[in-house]
Amino acid sequence: MQRAIEQAGIPTIIIAALPPVVRQAGTPRAVAPMVPMGANAGEPHNIEMQTGIVTDTLKLLEELEAPGQIVPLPYEYHAQI
Amino acid sequence: MSLTVVKGLQSEIYVPVTPAPVWAPVTKKLSEMTIAIATAAGVHQKDQERFNLAGDFGWRKVDDSYAPDQLMVSHGGYDNSDVNRDINAMFPYERLHELAKAGVIGGVAKFHAGFMGGGGNIQKFTEETGPAIAKFFVEQGVDAVLMTAG
Repeated sequence: MQRAIEQAGIPTIIIAALPPVVRQAGTPRAVAPMVPMGANAGEPHNIEMQTGIVTDTLKLLEELEAPGQIVPLPYEYHAQI
Repeated sequence: MSLTVVKGLQSEIYVPVTPAPVWAPVTKKLSEMTIAIATAAGVHQKDQERFNLAGDFGWRKVDDSYAPDQLMVSHGGYDNSDVNRDINAMFPYERLHELAKAGVIGGVAKFHAGFMGGGGNIQKFTEETGPAIAKFFVEQGVDAVLMTAG
């Protein structure tokens, strides 16, 4: 999906909970906060964390200069199951 | 002379091949970009048909003006409890609204895209769903797409 949008000329960046999966799928740009699948953009109702993740991600969209990079982000959330 | 004694041997372990790189360059400043979200988390409007949890290569246009309680998730491949508590955990569109208001980004697209990732008919996703969503974003004049998936 990301590749299809990128091929149409629109730059993309993906927030991934499973970095190996997006690497295998051939992501052009990705970030990986320490989050469980299902809360990729951060803990529910934690506006500060979500804003941080989204802002850092969009800044990296602007800054990354080569495809295939997965940048770890310093945010951590563990779901209580 | 060839050093191979037995020809045609191969590993019994299949190693998936990573596709060749794709790259669309960024040509605008973030503060001038209109951003859309494409999420594999199965996000859609409550007034739309749910995804088939057993596998669905369809996608839904998600209206940016809808309130969080008008949106929902149908996805059979991950624990939905966090995203049911707060749709922004996978679909951070309210955070984009705040960033647009603060001038960090230029604006937010009128429509986003939701689909059910994590398997299904990969060929259909690659050949039909992906290009359809890409075309939709191009026609909307979207400058960049933020994704949540994987």
